[in-house]
Amino acid sequence: MIGDCKTMITVVSGLPRSGTSLLMQMLHAGGQPILCDDQRLPDPDNPRGYFELEKVRSLERDATWMADAEGKAIKVISFLLGRLPADHEYRVIFMHRDLGEVLASQARMLERRGQPAGPDPAQMRSYFERHLETVTAWMSGQPQIRVFRCEYAAALRDPEATSRAIAEFLETPLDVQQMVTAVDPTLYRQRVV
Amino acid sequence: MFEPKVKIDRGLYATLQRAAKIADYSSVDEFIIHILEKAAAEIEQAQSEQEIRKRLQGLGYLE
Repeated sequence: MIGDCKTMITVVSGLPRSGTSLLMQMLHAGGQPILCDDQRLPDPDNPRGYFELEKVRSLERDATWMADAEGKAIKVISFLLGRLPADHEYRVIFMHRDLGEVLASQARMLERRGQPAGPDPAQMRSYFERHLETVTAWMSGQPQIRVFRCEYAAALRDPEATSRAIAEFLETPLDVQQMVTAVDPTLYRQRVV
Repeated sequence: MFEPKVKIDRGLYATLQRAAKIADYSSVDEFIIHILEKAAAEIEQAQSEQEIRKRLQGLGYLE
C-alpha cells in the first residue's frame, strides 16, 4: 500500500553521473520540496550543483533521519538504496544512462578529484552491470517502493515529456514548464555518438 | 573439447560423496560443480562490491 504525498519520500537514484543531479534540478524547478544541504558545492563536474544531503553518504550506519525526507525528494545513489528503512514509502526515479557515458564521466570526475582510476573500464562496466541487475531485482521485490525508469538521453531530448511522466508518476502537480527550463543540453558532455 | 580436471585427495572425495548424498544431489560431480560455482560467484560478488565501493568513495558518494 502506497501512502499519500505528505509522507511519501521521493528518491532520485542511479549510478553516479547518470543524471541524478539533473533530475533533482528539474524537481526543484517544478516545485517539489528537496532535502539537501550546501556541503557539496557546484564544480566543473556539476556546474548547477549536486542537490545532495551529506547524511546520505553515511546511510549505511545511520538512517534514523529518514523521516525528515517525508514529503520531499532526496538523492540516494543506487548502491545505498538497500539501506532505505523499510518503514517508509518511496517513489524512486531511477536514472538510466549509457554505461559508456557514465564511465567516461566518472573517469573525468575521478581525475579532477585526484583519485585513482581503479579497474579498467570493461571490468568496471561488468561490475556496474551486475550491480544494476541486483538493485533492479531487489527493488521489484519491495512493496514499499515504486520505481520510475528515467532515461537520461530522453530527458535531454524531450524534457517536457519526461517532466510530465515524472509528475504523473509522483501524482504531484509539478510545474512542468519550469522543469523543462532546468534542462541544459549543453551539459550533456560525455555523449556516446 | 578440453575438460579440465582437478585432483583432490581420497579422504576429501569420500567426504564430498557423503555430503552429496545427504544433500540429495544426483552425483558427487554435480554437487562439487554446484558448490564451486557458488563459491566463485560469492568471491566475484564481494570483489565487485569492493571495487564499486572504492569507486563511489573516490567520487565522494560514500564516506
